[in-house]
Amino acid sequence: MLEMKHLKKIYRTESIETHALEDFSLIVGGGEVVSVTGPSGSGKTTFLNVADLLDTFESGTYLLNGMDVSRLSDREMSQIRNRTIGFVFQSFNLIPDLSVFDNVDVPLRYRGLPAAERKRRIEGALEQVGLSARTRHLPSQLSGGQQQRVAIARVLAGEPKLILADEPTGNLDSVMTREIMDLLERINDSGTTIVMVTHSPECAERAHRQLHVFDGRIVDVERPRVTLAGTGGSGFAATLN
Amino acid sequence: MLSYYVQTALRSLRRTPILTAVLIGAIALGICISTTFIALRHVFERDPLPGKSQSLFYVRLDNWDAARAYVAEDPKSLPPQITYKDMRALMRSTIPVRQTGTFVSRMFVFPQSAKVRPFREPIRLVFSDFFPMFDIPFQYGSGWDKAADAKPEQLIVIDAAMNQKLFGGGNSVGKTVRIADRNFKVGGVISPDWRPSYRYYDVVQGPVPAESIFMPFNLTPVMQIQTSGNSDGWKDYGNTPEDFLNSEQTWIQFWVQLPDGAKVQAYRDYAANYVQDEKKHGRFQRPLHVEINSMPELLEAFGFVPKTVKVMSLVSLLFLVVCSLNLVGLLLGKFLARVPEVSVRRALGASKVQVFWQHVVECEVIGIIGGALGMLLSVAMLSVIAKVLQQGNGNSVTGVSLDLEMVAVSIFLSLVAGLMAGVYPAWRICSVPPAMQLKLQ
Repeated sequence: MLEMKHLKKIYRTESIETHALEDFSLIVGGGEVVSVTGPSGSGKTTFLNVADLLDTFESGTYLLNGMDVSRLSDREMSQIRNRTIGFVFQSFNLIPDLSVFDNVDVPLRYRGLPAAERKRRIEGALEQVGLSARTRHLPSQLSGGQQQRVAIARVLAGEPKLILADEPTGNLDSVMTREIMDLLERINDSGTTIVMVTHSPECAERAHRQLHVFDGRIVDVERPRVTLAGTGGSGFAATLN
Repeated sequence: MLSYYVQTALRSLRRTPILTAVLIGAIALGICISTTFIALRHVFERDPLPGKSQSLFYVRLDNWDAARAYVAEDPKSLPPQITYKDMRALMRSTIPVRQTGTFVSRMFVFPQSAKVRPFREPIRLVFSDFFPMFDIPFQYGSGWDKAADAKPEQLIVIDAAMNQKLFGGGNSVGKTVRIADRNFKVGGVISPDWRPSYRYYDVVQGPVPAESIFMPFNLTPVMQIQTSGNSDGWKDYGNTPEDFLNSEQTWIQFWVQLPDGAKVQAYRDYAANYVQDEKKHGRFQRPLHVEINSMPELLEAFGFVPKTVKVMSLVSLLFLVVCSLNLVGLLLGKFLARVPEVSVRRALGASKVQVFWQHVVECEVIGIIGGALGMLLSVAMLSVIAKVLQQGNGNSVTGVSLDLEMVAVSIFLSLVAGLMAGVYPAWRICSVPPAMQLKLQ
């Protein structure tokens, strides 16, 4: 599903060069749930941004679904973000003055789907996350857990093959955290690959595989294990630097 | 996608009502000023008689002083009007299908109704051909015929406003009104639809409204009517009205209707031959110079669009540009405050181009709303200008309003204004790297 080889990402200012990713290599197979942990500034979010094609990289190869995405145009990358990848943010990133329905509608609008199809997908996604009754609510009228469920519904409506989650439970209490993790596992049950950056050991343990990032490199890889979701990764491989 | 962009734009505008009001107000002001002056220019520039004006020709002859040209610095200049005796001579030609000499005078009008006080009114003296030549429509009655010209009969044609003033409206054909020291019978009432923006049949007097009363030209010698318009001469014109009529004084505008190029050439030859004949009698001592111009050529040659209107229309466009450019900063601030939302949209699959167009559409929505408001203000401003240009006869300068063409121009300007204000901010917002912003949220 996702294959990165020797990626290098450097942030430059006038006087400072920060090597955010250094010889970063990773393979994630279809249907896997992979957690990525590491201290702040280790390169976890940079990895996710590169994986989501929101950021570029200096060198290396990135194959997504077997396609080299390093030389794509902005339009092509946007299409991949829109159709293949779903992104779950720590701070939910719902648009405050859009209703729940309209927030879930945002990526579908950019895909140019007809209104009836969009409605079907939005209602289906909101039903999956248990928020069918809140379609007209604004994000400010929802709890943190509900907002994250809306954000996940926004991803689900796009029916992506890969979900990238950046600390999806970082702003939630333990009860909400369990709810969201259960939800992500249910999504994974349908074959969706999930790569999740997290600080939470509990969340990390629920992944098929745990990766640890330090100074822009993957420094530790845990062996595949049977998970609560019950589906093991099919294409496991990671480079130990 | 456009409808989604419009929905997003309207939501965004509602989010910041005060800023939105400022943005719309600035565009409205720019559109109001520019549309007003462009419309004013348009009024003076448009063809007053589409389909007809090309067959109407204005005749000028150079009867000026042998020693110097009409405009001393321009040897090719010639008087804008002709003499009475030249008009009489030219009217003997049978080449034109219609022809008329014309000038304006001022006389006292004594209404029958005691409620209306006598008033002094500009009155145009014309031949019977004047009305069909200039396609003047009638509500009641008609113009007079050639027999009335010849006699001449004491007939008048009045416009709808004058009919209202003198007779309270209605069919006043056959009714009598006293003008100067004679009674005149109303032969026709011009349709209220005929409200020309200016006297296109009299380029000498400038862009002022049409007169409300028309009477037979041939009453001029009978009633010793004098012109109240421009009168140019280089020679003494004597002491009596007869002396004046036989002098070299130029005070009559002369129009002929010529149906085709052959007739135009024939008429040129006729006029030139007339001048050559007159030279033999000691007149027309300057080189032969006969000008026969179609109405559009004449309006162009006389620079009928006032210079101030031309300059103001250009200045008003610059004003619109300044208004738009002043909004760039405000829109940039507004858009950059929205970077987090745009970053989320980018993460969810919006391309740079889609983000760019989304914001351009928002600027265009501002432009269109501002433009609509500006157009309404412009209509009000134009009606004020029309009143300012009003003459003593109570007629306002009509046609000084937004026609469909000007509405289209106004909409175009609104879109351009929105685009000018919005392109740079839209480009900046779509160029913001989303990854950095998502990280900061």
